[in-house]
Amino acid sequence: MDGNAGIQAVKDNSTKTKVANGVLGVILNVILWVFSLACIFPLVWMLYSSLKKKREFNASIIALPSKPTFENYIKIFSNKDANLLGAMGNSVRTTVLAVFLIVLFAFIVGYILSRVNFRLNRFLYVMFLMGMLIPIHSLLVPIYIIFNRTNMANQWFTLLFPYVAFNLPVSLFLVEGYMKGVPLELEEAAAIDGSSFSRTMFSIILPICKPILTTVAIINVFSCWNEFSFALVLISNNKAITTVPLALKNFTGQFSSDYPKMMAAMLITMAPVVIIYFVFSKQIIKGMVAGAVKG
Amino acid sequence: MLNTIRPKGRVIFAYLCVPVALFVFTVFVPLIAALYYGFTDWKGGPTKNFNGIQNYVQLLNDEVFWHSFGNNLYLVVACIIGQIGIAFIIVMLINSKLVKLKGVHRTFGFFPSTISALCIGFVWKMIYDQRTGIINWFLVDVMHKYKNMKSAPIWLGGEAAPIMLVLSIPLIWQYIGYYMVIILSAVASIDTSVLESAEIDGATGLQKAIYIIFPLIKNTLLVCITLCIAGNMKAFDSIYAMTEGGPGTSSMVMALYGYNQSFKSSNLGYGSTISVGIFVLSLAVIGGSQLILNYYMTDKYDREEKRIKKQRDKEARMVMKNKKKGGIM
Repeated sequence: MDGNAGIQAVKDNSTKTKVANGVLGVILNVILWVFSLACIFPLVWMLYSSLKKKREFNASIIALPSKPTFENYIKIFSNKDANLLGAMGNSVRTTVLAVFLIVLFAFIVGYILSRVNFRLNRFLYVMFLMGMLIPIHSLLVPIYIIFNRTNMANQWFTLLFPYVAFNLPVSLFLVEGYMKGVPLELEEAAAIDGSSFSRTMFSIILPICKPILTTVAIINVFSCWNEFSFALVLISNNKAITTVPLALKNFTGQFSSDYPKMMAAMLITMAPVVIIYFVFSKQIIKGMVAGAVKG
Repeated sequence: MLNTIRPKGRVIFAYLCVPVALFVFTVFVPLIAALYYGFTDWKGGPTKNFNGIQNYVQLLNDEVFWHSFGNNLYLVVACIIGQIGIAFIIVMLINSKLVKLKGVHRTFGFFPSTISALCIGFVWKMIYDQRTGIINWFLVDVMHKYKNMKSAPIWLGGEAAPIMLVLSIPLIWQYIGYYMVIILSAVASIDTSVLESAEIDGATGLQKAIYIIFPLIKNTLLVCITLCIAGNMKAFDSIYAMTEGGPGTSSMVMALYGYNQSFKSSNLGYGSTISVGIFVLSLAVIGGSQLILNYYMTDKYDREEKRIKKQRDKEARMVMKNKKKGGIM
C-alpha cells in the first residue's frame, strides 16, 4: 500500500512538473516570439505598405493592401530627380572597391606587421592601434576641410579614403591575430624551396587566411553600404556620385508626407543588404560577432 | 616574427607605403588640421584670423555643446541598460531547453543591426508619427485612449515624453539582437559540466543566471559595454533622421552640433574646436569607463592575488639581486 502511494505521489509529481514545464515553455516561447517579431515587424509593415497608395495608407495604416500595386516602385524608378538607381550603382561601386582595398591592405599590413622584423614595425603597430582608439566622428569637420583644400572632395573616389582608413585598423588586427595561429615553419619551408617573399605571401599565406579575410569582408560590406555621415559631409555637392543613404535623405526631403513611397524607396535601398543577410545569415552573424569581440 | 627570412627594406616599403600614407592622410592630417583651425575664426572664405584661445573659451561656456554631451551620456546609459540588460535576459530565456527554433530568433533578432542607422531613423519617424504612426494608431484604435489621431501625442515634439527617451528606444531596439548574439556565443562557450552540476545541486534558472553564468561571461559583458559606449558617443545618423537635434536643440548630440555649426552656420573654425572637444571628451569617457569597469569587474580575490604575486615577484628580484651581489663579492 505504502509503496503504491509512493509511486502514485511520484506520478502526480511528474505530471505536475510536466504541466508546469509546458506552461513555462509556452510563456518563454511567446516572449521570444514577441521579441523576434518586434525586430522584423517594421520590415514586414514596410513591405506590404509600400504596395498601397497614399490615400489607402492614410485611411488605415496597418491594414493589408486591398489592391496591391507596384505604382510606388514604378514612380521611384522613373523619377529622374531622385535617381535612386544611380545612387545604388554608386554605392555598389564604392562598397566593392572599398571592401577590396580593405581586405587587400589589411592582409598585407597585418601579415608584415606580424611576421617581418624591421625597424618601424612597432611604431606602425602603435599607430594603427591609435587609429582604432580615435573617435572617428570627431574627424567629420576637419576631414571636410582637408579634402576641400586638396580638391579631393566630391570625386568618385573620395569616399574610398575614409572608408578604407577607418576600417583598416580593426581589419588588420583581425588578420594579425589570425596569423599568430599560423606556424612559421610554413614560410621557412617555402623559403628553402626558393619561394620569394611576395610569392610566399600571396600564394601560401593568402589561401590560409581566407576564413579571416571573409570575416573582414563581411563586416565591411555592411559598414560601407550603410555609412552616412562622411558621405553627407564629403560628397553632397556632387549629385552624380551620391550613395544610397544620401539619396534616401534627399528623397525623404522631397516626399516626406508620402509614406508608402518612402517605404518603397527604403526597401529598394535596403534590398541588397537584406537579401544577402537572410541568405548568409549564419556566416554573417558569426563574422560580425568575431569582428566586434576581437576588434 | 620571422627571423630566418628577411625581405629587403625596399620590398617592405613598397608594400606598406600606400596603406600607411592613405591612413595618415585620412586620420592624422585632419586631426592636426582640427587643432590648427580650432584657433581661428575661419568661416570658409578667404579670410582667416587667429584668435587665440577664444574658441575654446566659447566652447567651455557653450551650453548647447554641454547639453549635447549630456545627451550622448544619456544615450550611453540608456543603451547599456536597455540593450545589454534586455539582451542578457533574452539570452537566459533562449538557452532554456523548452525553447524551439533558436536559430530563427537569432536571425530575426540580429536583423535590425544590419540596416543603416539612417533607415532605422526614418522608419521610426514613421512609427512615431502623430497622424499615421503605429504607436498612435495603437493608442487610438486599439486602446481607445484618445478620441482621434489629432488629439494623440506628438512623440517627437518633446512634450508627450522626454525627447531623449523617445529617441533612445529605436537605438536600443536596433542593437538588442546584436548584443544578444555576442552574449549567446559567450554563454555557449561555458563548460556545460559547470551548469549541470549546478542543476544537480538544485539551482533554479534564475540562480544559475545570476551566480554562475553572469560571473563567467563578465569579460564579454565588458566588451559589450565598451562597444555600447563607443557606439553612442558617435550617435549621429538616426538622430539626424528623426529630429535633426530638435525641437530647438533639445535632442542635439555632439557630432550633430559640430556638423550644424560647421555647415549650417559655416563656422568652420569653431566647428574644428568642437571637433577637438568631441575628440577629448569621447576619449575621456571611453578611457574613464574602462578604468572603472576594470576595477569593478575584477574580483576582490583577483586583486588580492595580483597584489600577492607582485609582492612575490619583488621578493624574488631582491633575492636575485642579493645573490648576484654575493656572487661578485
